Amino acid sequence: MTDVHAPASVNPGAPPQTPPEGGGSATPDSPRRPSGVPQQKNLPLWRWAWRQITSMRTALVLLFLLALGAIPGSIIPQTGNDPAQVQQYFISHPALAPWLSRFGLFDVYGSPWFAAIYLLLFISLVGCVVPRTFRLVGQSRTPPPKAPRFLGRLPHSATYVSPLPPQEAVAAAASVLGGHHFRLRTNVSTGTTPSSPPGKKADAGDKTFWLSAEKGYLREAGNLLFHLSLLGILICVAVGGLFGYKADKLLVEGQSYADTPSALDDFYPGRLATGSDLAPFDITLNNFTATYITSGQNAGQPAAYNANVTYTATSGGAAKTDDLQVNHPLNVDGVKVYLIGHGFAPVFSVTDAQGKVVYDQATPFIPADTSTMLSDGVVKAPNAAPEQLGFMGVFVPTAVEGSGGTLNSAFPAAENPAVSLIGYSGNLGMDSGLPQSVYQMDTTAMTKVAAQPHLMFPGQTWKLPNGLGSITFVGYKQWVSLTATYDPGQGPALAFAALALLGILVSFVVRRRRVFVRAVAADGNRGSILTVGGLARTDASGGFEEEFARLAAELAGTEPTNQSETGA
Amino acid sequence: MGVNETLANVSSDFMIAALLIYSLAVLAFAGDFAFGRPRRAAVAVKQQTRIAELASVGAGPAAGSAVSGGVPADGPRTTAPPPANVLPSRQASLSRAINDAGNWVRVAVALSVLGVTSHLIAVVTRGFAVHRAPWGNMYEFVTALTCVAGIFFVYVMLRYRAWSLGVFVMGAIVITLGLAETVIYTAAGPVVPALQSYWLSIHVTAMTLSTGIFFIAFVLGILYLTTDVYRARVAAGKAEPGNGLLERIPSAAQLDKLTYRTIIFGFPVWTFGVIAGAIWADEAWGHYWSWDPVETWAFITWVLYAAYLHARATGGWRGRRAHYIQIIGFASLAFNILVVQVFITGMHSYAGLG
Amino acid sequence: MFKVRRRVVVTAAAVLVVLLAVGVAVTFTGGDSQASDRKYIDGSTSAWLYTAGHRPPAPDFTGTTLTGAPIKFSSYKGKVVVLNFWASWCPPCRAEAPTLAVLSEKYARDGVSFLGDDVNDTPTNGLSFTRSIGITYPSVNDPSYQVVQDFGNAVLINDTPTTLVIDRTGHIAGVVYGAVTYSELDTMIHDVVSQ
Repeated sequence: MTDVHAPASVNPGAPPQTPPEGGGSATPDSPRRPSGVPQQKNLPLWRWAWRQITSMRTALVLLFLLALGAIPGSIIPQTGNDPAQVQQYFISHPALAPWLSRFGLFDVYGSPWFAAIYLLLFISLVGCVVPRTFRLVGQSRTPPPKAPRFLGRLPHSATYVSPLPPQEAVAAAASVLGGHHFRLRTNVSTGTTPSSPPGKKADAGDKTFWLSAEKGYLREAGNLLFHLSLLGILICVAVGGLFGYKADKLLVEGQSYADTPSALDDFYPGRLATGSDLAPFDITLNNFTATYITSGQNAGQPAAYNANVTYTATSGGAAKTDDLQVNHPLNVDGVKVYLIGHGFAPVFSVTDAQGKVVYDQATPFIPADTSTMLSDGVVKAPNAAPEQLGFMGVFVPTAVEGSGGTLNSAFPAAENPAVSLIGYSGNLGMDSGLPQSVYQMDTTAMTKVAAQPHLMFPGQTWKLPNGLGSITFVGYKQWVSLTATYDPGQGPALAFAALALLGILVSFVVRRRRVFVRAVAADGNRGSILTVGGLARTDASGGFEEEFARLAAELAGTEPTNQSETGA
Repeated sequence: MGVNETLANVSSDFMIAALLIYSLAVLAFAGDFAFGRPRRAAVAVKQQTRIAELASVGAGPAAGSAVSGGVPADGPRTTAPPPANVLPSRQASLSRAINDAGNWVRVAVALSVLGVTSHLIAVVTRGFAVHRAPWGNMYEFVTALTCVAGIFFVYVMLRYRAWSLGVFVMGAIVITLGLAETVIYTAAGPVVPALQSYWLSIHVTAMTLSTGIFFIAFVLGILYLTTDVYRARVAAGKAEPGNGLLERIPSAAQLDKLTYRTIIFGFPVWTFGVIAGAIWADEAWGHYWSWDPVETWAFITWVLYAAYLHARATGGWRGRRAHYIQIIGFASLAFNILVVQVFITGMHSYAGLG
Repeated sequence: MFKVRRRVVVTAAAVLVVLLAVGVAVTFTGGDSQASDRKYIDGSTSAWLYTAGHRPPAPDFTGTTLTGAPIKFSSYKGKVVVLNFWASWCPPCRAEAPTLAVLSEKYARDGVSFLGDDVNDTPTNGLSFTRSIGITYPSVNDPSYQVVQDFGNAVLINDTPTTLVIDRTGHIAGVVYGAVTYSELDTMIHDVVSQ
């Protein structure tokens, strides 16, 4: 980069118009050049554009855009989080929704414009951080700049008298500062040097003795580590998005599933993942328990969920048992299985007009109200003859009569379970081959078998009118919804996040600072007068005063004044 | 794992006591403004004191601007080397400083410390009453974050001798805590299974801490803007110099520096909180980042504070503009707590206000 | 000046590498191993026969049928087998069932065995369906998709219905994804039988 000054050009003793950090060089806290008018004429266009994009101002604007761009995704429903809500939005806003969709507002964080913002930001970041890394490496190899002429002008300064001649006094100072791990530069040879003859004054020009010391390169290193780690996180997120997957499965008590694409209710593979990447485990749900607070102000609030499962990691392997809970996922073959939801599955048995049992299974109902677990579902018996039978139902775990005689639930646990069914006969439309949801029923070709819903308790049978058959509410089971996720980028992302945190802490805590010493011979004797100047190259430098005072005192060979009261 | 009702009651009593004591502290701070010993506020950024002591030039605004983030120093500096035997001296001790500040400040500081202690006891006993980290719902979260703000402010006040900020900061704490007690009070109780994790202690603690710290930075930012606008108006001849209130609070440059130090303390804590939240999300929901609305707004807040830090290093963005950014950052944080967590359904819907 | 130019070059190279990595990551999509190993039936893209030498071996499995009888896949060795994955709750499966019933009758004398695998279902529901259609061949009771998973190692089975034709050597010769059509499956069975 053309405008990067070599560190040696930093002149802290420059006139006050210059910031103490020095002439326009990238300092730890102002690492980017101001944008705007190119400093050189005839700059090629691409260089000019590059300069613009890596300027701090552009980075600032992109940060704002990133914050702004993230907002719609928190207000408009997102397909990634809640596809049902998105469908609902399309129904309730038929004019607006297609336009929002066109701009990717239902998938903000996967949309091209959002990607454009963060990719530009990262390009800007790389364009800034990479040259700074080289610069830091360069700086750590080159000695600090010459001591400025007038150290008294620096923010921190002190003067002391030494009995040694100037050259030796500076050498002594160098060994003190070197002992504090300062990087040194001096015009005095710091080995054992013969003292210069008394009275022989240094020439006015360059024959005074000086020492420059610098420390705190870690600050910039931490800053760079932070930014590079952000880049690492982005790459890890991309890796997870490419090779990871997410799989959802609803499982009723007593049932098992083998982890294979067709067994899953939903499967979201990354761009480079396929169904054959699924881990070959299988899981059986033995039982599920939900416990609730039964009394007091918080009655009905869930207290604990527990899903007891048996799993085998590989086909034919040893079976293991685990209690799957919220916050306690199951780890199988590098895949994590989570307990995400739960519900009731009433068991029904349906007999058709000919007296044959045509349906016998636990049927998952979906909670409509998670605080009472009032749930909806359908029972479809397409094998019933001569007419197919279907039922729309409401399941309540603790039945009470609601307002207007409706069935309601008083408590989320099954204390008094009941179902209310509306019966239909006719054609369910399942034999045409068109796929349909198992949770929905198409009643267009069906007629109600009775005008009123029919209330049933476990063990009860409803004999349908006109000899259409019967349905028995056998009992209920519970189901859980599980999510299995695999994300190879996750571990590295965490490592980079930890590095980013470490980097920013270091860059906030460590100060970049310089200490300079100049010595002139004292008149009339062998001793010398030394001026010490200090400069902390950042405004987060709270505490440098103390450090400077300590160093100055140590150089002068006196005890530092400590915290105890001196003014009393 | 029931609720220990005795402890829960103790907690409630201490919380009310804290609110009352804070209110008295605010009164005392205000009394200092009205009747206290006239003095220019000295936010004792030690360097300035030293420069002033050494050369008795360059104090005040000039020295302030010298440390305010690379703004060129416009005042004269110590040019003559100080006498050989003078090394930087320490400033006066804390007790002496409080004594010097007068009766009103003495009372106000004592009340602040007492209030914070009572507040801390209330939060801790609530935690023991419910056998978990006491920030499982919105009410608990707000009481905890104001406690952090209180503790942090008392530290800042004592370290930088910033008595004159007390009326503003403590006032904001009283208002927030008062609203929490009246509008969103929630009785002690256990939390839902999703919150039954040690990550509640880690993640929400970090978020509470950083929110409390950013809260202080926000109040400082408002004071900065007020002071800066006033100074500009005076400079432009549009306002009379000598506004009693503004003359007594620290200079804009000092406030600016204090704000910066506060934010660079809060930012890594917030970053850690977000990371801890991501780890917890991975434990509970199956993915470390799923753009849940609360996550999204935490991200927005993080980006805005990052923008503040960058703005301070960008020409033309220091000073007022940077403060606008951090105030917007805090606004996004407040929006997250007050609006997103309460009204927008997501996986973080634990506010307990439904 | 040389140093400066080197920095620019290095920076630009670093950015390009990152861009390239991200670009590849975002745009690259995995494709199926293509076409040379298979022959599509009637221009369909969801039904094909593997060419000889590319046929994956069918795994062995044991289980019980919907009527409760034990079943071992290895006992079908030496026969052409049509294996159909289905469920009574799955509309495309219900739609294709009559075709399967007819073809199982047609190829019975050629020694072709039909076998169903009823997934995520109950024996009551499954049997009442096959009886109503008039299917006489057995179906494995596979509520947990265990057999699907076993075969999933050999061919991708993303959904039901899926139908496999297995040759006399125990290799998977043909695949139909989705509901079968009469001509598709007829062609495939004919080809495999006459080999």
